[in-house]
Amino acid sequence: MENHGNSDPIKQDSPEGLPSLIQVISSNGVSGFDSIEGRSDQFLGPSVQETARGSNSKLVHAVSISMPSSPREADTPNAKRVLFANNDEPASGDGNPDSTPSGHPKRTTFYSQPMPRRSGENPPRHPRVHALKDKRFDSFKTWSGKLERQLSNLRGKPRPTSPEDGSSTTPTAPERNLPVDRFFDALEGPELDTLRASEEIVLPDDKQWPFLLRFPISSFGICLGVSSQAIMWKALATSESTNFLHVSTIINTVLWSISLALVAIVFLIYLLKVIFYFEAVRREYYHPIRVNFFFAPWIALLFLSMGVPPSVTSKLHHALWYVLMAPIFCLELKIYGQWMSGGQRRLSKVANPSNHLSIVGNFVGALLGATMGLKEGPIFFFAVGLAHYTVLFVTLYQRLPTNETLPKELHPVFFLFVAAPSVASMAWAKIQGSFDYGSRIAYFIALFLYFSLAVRVNFFRGFRFSLAWWAYTFPMTGAAIATVRYSNEVTNVVTQSLSVALSATATLTVFALLVTTILHAFVLRDLFPNDIAIAISERRPKSHHSHRKWFHLRHGSSDTRDIENYLKFATSEGKDIEASNSVDAPSPDGNNPNVQA
Amino acid sequence: MESLQIPHQPPMAMRPVLVDASQLASGVQPHHCRNRPNHQQTASPIRQLKPSILTRLHAGYFRISLSFASQALLLKMLTQPAAGNSSSNPPPLGHFLRSDGPFRSISLLFFWLLALVAQVLLSALYTLRCCFHFQLVKAEFFHHVGVNYLFAPWISWLVLLLSVPTAISEIKAPYLALWWAFAIPVVLLDVKIYGQWFTTEKRFLSMVANPTSLISVIGNLVGSRAASRVGWKESAVCLFSLGMAHYLVLFVTLYQRLSGGDRLPAMLRPVFFLFFAAPSMASLAWNSISGTFDTGSKMLFFLSLFLFASLACRPALFKKSMRKFNVAWWAYSFPLTFLALASAEYAQEVKGTMASVLMLVLSALSFLVFLGLMLLTVLNTHRILREDDPILRFDKDRSRN
Repeated sequence: MENHGNSDPIKQDSPEGLPSLIQVISSNGVSGFDSIEGRSDQFLGPSVQETARGSNSKLVHAVSISMPSSPREADTPNAKRVLFANNDEPASGDGNPDSTPSGHPKRTTFYSQPMPRRSGENPPRHPRVHALKDKRFDSFKTWSGKLERQLSNLRGKPRPTSPEDGSSTTPTAPERNLPVDRFFDALEGPELDTLRASEEIVLPDDKQWPFLLRFPISSFGICLGVSSQAIMWKALATSESTNFLHVSTIINTVLWSISLALVAIVFLIYLLKVIFYFEAVRREYYHPIRVNFFFAPWIALLFLSMGVPPSVTSKLHHALWYVLMAPIFCLELKIYGQWMSGGQRRLSKVANPSNHLSIVGNFVGALLGATMGLKEGPIFFFAVGLAHYTVLFVTLYQRLPTNETLPKELHPVFFLFVAAPSVASMAWAKIQGSFDYGSRIAYFIALFLYFSLAVRVNFFRGFRFSLAWWAYTFPMTGAAIATVRYSNEVTNVVTQSLSVALSATATLTVFALLVTTILHAFVLRDLFPNDIAIAISERRPKSHHSHRKWFHLRHGSSDTRDIENYLKFATSEGKDIEASNSVDAPSPDGNNPNVQA
Repeated sequence: MESLQIPHQPPMAMRPVLVDASQLASGVQPHHCRNRPNHQQTASPIRQLKPSILTRLHAGYFRISLSFASQALLLKMLTQPAAGNSSSNPPPLGHFLRSDGPFRSISLLFFWLLALVAQVLLSALYTLRCCFHFQLVKAEFFHHVGVNYLFAPWISWLVLLLSVPTAISEIKAPYLALWWAFAIPVVLLDVKIYGQWFTTEKRFLSMVANPTSLISVIGNLVGSRAASRVGWKESAVCLFSLGMAHYLVLFVTLYQRLSGGDRLPAMLRPVFFLFFAAPSMASLAWNSISGTFDTGSKMLFFLSLFLFASLACRPALFKKSMRKFNVAWWAYSFPLTFLALASAEYAQEVKGTMASVLMLVLSALSFLVFLGLMLLTVLNTHRILREDDPILRFDKDRSRN
């Protein structure tokens, strides 16, 4: 059976014996095994789980097979996919021929299926399996794992001999530009991180991924939350209107040091992720919600600069501001430009509350710049932020039907609505020199939004905790700081008690979040779950993509459609194999023969 | 001149623009004589019109005269002291021009006259088009892109008025009369078009919004600046608020891109430059209303600078439209000039090096683009004047547009 220009340069990573083992497993009707390595070829091997579902017998035999990309590959025993039903491939090993129905090419499924059982069943091969499984993440590694290999080669670590090092075909580059529609189709939830039932991911779900892969960019939310607390305590300690509280500056110093350490740690970890798992970072960039968190590191640095204790330094160099705003400026050019001219990433389609993070950076930069004494730069960023904030605000308020990302129920992400007006009010006050009417208007808007969310706190239940929740605390802290500044201007009992109340609320929220985080980190140990959102497949599993080489095989017929419905991990290929097996329908492009080949 | 009827006459194409203009002028008479019988034969169906200058010249051609006029305004602003400021405030480029006053004013006068000639010519041709091919003008009016360019002639006239080489205070009466003559059509068009945005179902804003809608906003803002230059603050504020209110709505709508960008053909991508032309003009208008380049003007100027940077970073957006020269390329010129104008006023207010450098860079850029476009037009006169505009064709069946 000829491959149809198999576009998958499958990494020849798997050790020799593995395929046969896997075949044995699959012959038991176990759901497809994944032998994929890198998704670089887009089609990670496995297969069809249908077998497990007990659908018709054909399905049972479906075993993941991958078409060999070349005869050479077919011969190589470690061809991952291996198993060609009709192939008298020696490598395929034993179980294969039995399991596969006669003469029907098993489809090459290209999605790696989660292998719940499989992992436990390879104890004798464990080291190899382990090595094999490591390869599965290669597609997410920088340069598909070559960097790691280089580094380990440099370190002199003996590598398991894998023929692929020398002889593998160059992996096809993974699809660079994952269209935003894929994310909306495959994921759901207010943070777009829950996989829909019909979708599947390209990395194994059963095992814990490498830590770096599980470390999302939304972890920078912790930095945001803690550093804004430092600023709040600094404001409480140094403002005249809150002098009656006698807050000492020690709290600010302690919190600032903690946030400094946190920022450094998170930066370092994410830097490692960028170095070693660049593809994963790229996918996070294409995620419509996570892209906004790329502003978070720089905002956190801006917060650090603003919250610096007076004991450390009281005057910051202007160059620091330019250095910190440069990345924000570049990111903005990209993101706002996409809103304006991007076909699939236009605002009406991707607008979601997390977009506030991309707007707030402008106001925070303006605030810092004005505090430092700069004149034109803060106005620049304030103007840009204000213009785009208007657009975003209107769009989100419209709740356009084309916009799918707004959660129907309330979620902590809604607190981000409060962030922009409160920071904008403070920035305008600093630019103008006093808390004038413009600042007050913005401040009252922020206060209104805050209260309208706070009274609905009951509706914030029932959501899975995620690290991104830290990012949603900084608006509350920001509102508290704005209230403190406002009470400086208008000092009376109401404003002072309001500032105390809001600060207390913010502190309590952060504390509760800290407790929850520790709980999840050490007790439940699921602080960093597998990051499903970045591992979605590039193609819908059920759809028929005619441009896929193997596609002529698939041709969903009606009888397979109900089968599809039962299958959770069904891939179109798998079903189509059955379909083509059963109905032998002519393929759309009339290329049937290869199937049989 | 039979040759005018025949497209692709190489000798014609070689002549420089001015000569062509005179040739056009001379060629118009026999031209329309020829057209008249055509017009009578094909009174109702639009399709069978014999292609001629008049059928091809749609309102988008006024981009050319607008660019000329705005360059004249830029020249005036750079070389002459600002009207409202004290005479001690030197013009931004004053110290660059070693020669004394007369040279400056002569060059400015020459340029202004050139712009005036271009505008008069185009206006005359367009008037003839209205006379003889009124169906085409109506077709333009009903087209979602063409209707916005109906503002363009009036904007050019207003900019010409603003850039008049003499001090405005000396010619107050005729200036005011002319201002009325040009502002009233703008307001009438406003009433019609803005009203349609939220009342006429077939022409709701969400359906017709496209970047050329910003031209209506620019029209209001130019009228506002022209009014405040002569001291009429109330009309200035009135037009300014009208323009800004609709600018806000348009800004949000265009950013949302509800209909997915299928409203604008790819060849018209140069009109994306209008995105930053509107806030630049708003900044200029607010500057002349409030007297100084205060925070509001600065914010608008910075916004336009940011949008310009954002577009400049995306050359791929314009690739498709840059394959063949067409009159839409003139849409690159006047927004750049407006931005340069705003930067000049900004530099006058904030007398720093960065601001002056920015002003010089932007002015040079706008002038270079203008020169380049002039050159390309001269080299491609046959395409502009004798071939049909590939993008906006109103002499064909309307459904094709």
